[in-house]
Amino acid sequence: MSNINGKVYAMNAITPMRPWKTWILRAFFFILGHVKPLQSDLINLSFIQFARWVILPRHRFPFLGETQKREELKYDYLLFFSNFNGTWNQYIDAFSAVLSRGLNLIWRWSEKFPGSVPVTLFKEYIARMQFDTDYYYTAYPQATANDVKSAHIVQNALTALSEGVETRTPEQFREAYLQFVITVQAHLGSTGEAPTVF
Amino acid sequence: MANQSGSVYGLTLLSPILNDEHAVPSHDLQIRKYLATLPTGADSPFAIAPGTHLARLVVMDDVIYVGMPACEEHLNSKYLVFESNFDGDLDTYLAGLATTIPQHLDAIWSHCTGYPGAGDAQAFARYMKACQIDTTFFFAAVNDKSVTETLVALQTQRAVADFVATHQGVDPAQTQREFIEFIRILKVTPPPPPGIMGPHRNLKTGGRNE
Amino acid sequence: MSKLNPTDIQGFVLRGYNMPYARYCFLHFEDAERACTLIRHLLPIITTGQLWDQGKPHSTVNLAFTHQGLVSLDLPIATLISFPVEFQQGMQARGGILGDTGVNSVEGWDEVWREGKVHAWLGIHALSLEALDARSAEMQSLIAETGGARLLGNQDAASIVMDGKVTAKEHFGFTDGFGNPDYLGVCRSTQPGQGKLTADGTWAPLATGELLLGYADEAGELPVAPVPHLLASNGTFMVYRKLHQNVGTFRRFLDQWGARYGAGDGFAREKLASKFIGRWRDGTPVEVSPDRPDIGIVQDPNRSTNFTYGNDAAGTRCPIGAHIRRVNPRDAFGFQGKLINRRRITRRGLPYGPFALEDETSGTYDPSEMDATDRGVVFMALNASISRQFEFVQQQWIAYGNDAHLGNEKDLLMGSHSEGEKYAIQGDTSPANPPFFCTGLPNFVELRGGEYFFVPSITALGMIAMGLVDPR
Repeated sequence: MSNINGKVYAMNAITPMRPWKTWILRAFFFILGHVKPLQSDLINLSFIQFARWVILPRHRFPFLGETQKREELKYDYLLFFSNFNGTWNQYIDAFSAVLSRGLNLIWRWSEKFPGSVPVTLFKEYIARMQFDTDYYYTAYPQATANDVKSAHIVQNALTALSEGVETRTPEQFREAYLQFVITVQAHLGSTGEAPTVF
Repeated sequence: MANQSGSVYGLTLLSPILNDEHAVPSHDLQIRKYLATLPTGADSPFAIAPGTHLARLVVMDDVIYVGMPACEEHLNSKYLVFESNFDGDLDTYLAGLATTIPQHLDAIWSHCTGYPGAGDAQAFARYMKACQIDTTFFFAAVNDKSVTETLVALQTQRAVADFVATHQGVDPAQTQREFIEFIRILKVTPPPPPGIMGPHRNLKTGGRNE
Repeated sequence: MSKLNPTDIQGFVLRGYNMPYARYCFLHFEDAERACTLIRHLLPIITTGQLWDQGKPHSTVNLAFTHQGLVSLDLPIATLISFPVEFQQGMQARGGILGDTGVNSVEGWDEVWREGKVHAWLGIHALSLEALDARSAEMQSLIAETGGARLLGNQDAASIVMDGKVTAKEHFGFTDGFGNPDYLGVCRSTQPGQGKLTADGTWAPLATGELLLGYADEAGELPVAPVPHLLASNGTFMVYRKLHQNVGTFRRFLDQWGARYGAGDGFAREKLASKFIGRWRDGTPVEVSPDRPDIGIVQDPNRSTNFTYGNDAAGTRCPIGAHIRRVNPRDAFGFQGKLINRRRITRRGLPYGPFALEDETSGTYDPSEMDATDRGVVFMALNASISRQFEFVQQQWIAYGNDAHLGNEKDLLMGSHSEGEKYAIQGDTSPANPPFFCTGLPNFVELRGGEYFFVPSITALGMIAMGLVDPR
């Protein structure tokens, strides 16, 4: 059992919400999903590979047959699943430092949320709400979100350079190749193992 | 469609785990035991079945009591959470799982209520969809590239880094010749298998230090 | 924020003494009572942060403890376990996190560090060798009188002198000593670029709590600190690392790659060196002046540290992997630099070992002989949280490169390189600034030992000396 596979960390968190507050959160997520500029901070914090929030209303727990007892709950639940690069501390420090308003808008509807600033109380809350991953798979454990983005830049540039390369003169190639190197020069980091965490 | 971001689909499943007091060990522990020894690298079932970028399986024992004045409450069943980020549409993905890794699916989900087995692909898909929870908000850093495209790009990145470093100061005509050879080889090099940590390095770049 | 009381804080925490000589003595306590007697005698001699209105003293004395040291001083168990985990473990045990493996691992360390018996660091700084020896002798006799400690060893260090003048150079020839942060309430000359970036592009001092325990930090709270409050307040943590420098290897590397860079001449060699660090060897910041060194910028406090990387996202002025850009990315990660503010450290420390002037006729030196000479830098970092500040920078920004979008690439001069690594210098179409890749990276720096220390306030030293530490 591990939350970590290569360079990526699987965080799972569940928090209870009073049902009338769930609608406010749905509205916020709706706006976030449709007003792209609001997502720019999330994109620029480039260490998240995939993340999702799942509102799980108290009556919507899957019910698969009579041998199962139906759930009888007072709270709705907010599930959070994140696949991020870096350490647990680094991740939460970064969010607390630059995305505190967004985090508050998502989690203030959860019971006993202490606010995302200051960070120590926030970390204690997350530590309590987090539950551990039993099995974690990634198709590219040696690569972070940044590595993947860089790789696509290199691939695109290579494809562009390759087009009609046989027909160029050496001088033309020299120029095109220089432009190619300039395009990829900041994207050639090597991939491999993650730093040790303990 | 909240479950989708570009060409990536975010699947969230909660499968209720069988609640049998007579099972020793209990079904959730049996799932945990199976998952503990399941490979997570190139031999992972999700490396064999197509399309999975990242996926996790979590046995969720209960909801969490945050402390007074919140009320304490408990789930009547444990749930197996399956969170997957994959290429394409749900039906194709589920069909892919059922055809390529039925033994693993059965080993895991046979401990869950109402699981029909992966033998009947239709029933399997119906079951999985019955367990599905709609993702409210899904974020993907890169949402327009498949797993294969990503692995190929990573391989390319490494090969290009080698090529650029070894062709520094080499005259343009020679670089051009060797570049043409380089992309020819790269084109026929198979994409690296998913789930491996190390670089798949049988690529020669024709540089001076070969 | 509360006003600082400099008489309660050890002097070198608040500012570098700028004294050219130092001797770091490493002590081992055998008996708590005798050790406390020694500390009591030292208390009135310890240099505080008080300003030197009557001129600099000839020498200064400061004291810090390892966790084992605090244990041997019989501090209460509740206090001992309230110290941060990394400090309790000690630097040796943290080797995996810090990348202290292979040639940097404990097998290659100096004996005094290998044994793990260091309990205290007694730091003497002096204006002259005579003053250094005099103070040293005084300390020796105090130790002998009280029987309070065993001296395990000394480490001498001194500023490099060139042409009879004291310089801020280190052994690779780079001018060091820039970039220590400004902190709120700490009285020293502030310079634009040393603090944190504000929303309107100006610079403001960092929160005091990034350096000193007991004050608000950049996260808007009091940093996690050991108990009791009085023991921790006005104290800080110190990281001590003895870094051997392979000067021969460095010069050969620079010769080899300098010959292939740009015009391949002496100027290209200097420019290449500047691209390694992010400053020309005279101290000119490459971001401000990428094409030539400019001593005027170096000597102008309004310019020598006043720059950001916002207009250089491509790295064509200052390479993305250059040392100073790695350890202080300023605004390079966006968000107006907010991700950097809790990752700053204050550096003290001096070079050690004989300085070798670079000869005009390069190639007449023996690299392995030069490497074998015992020289390098004593790296000392002060921060409120070793794991959040020093260890983070070491692990994530020096020994790794993901935040800078450089994957697994390490800092060129400080990293422990593996096969196949390269150093990318981003360039443009001008022939004097081409894209350039150095490969076959050797290890230029090797760790020879070190430890984590707690630097108590004067009050805390008194409490320790008199056995008055009570956790609750």
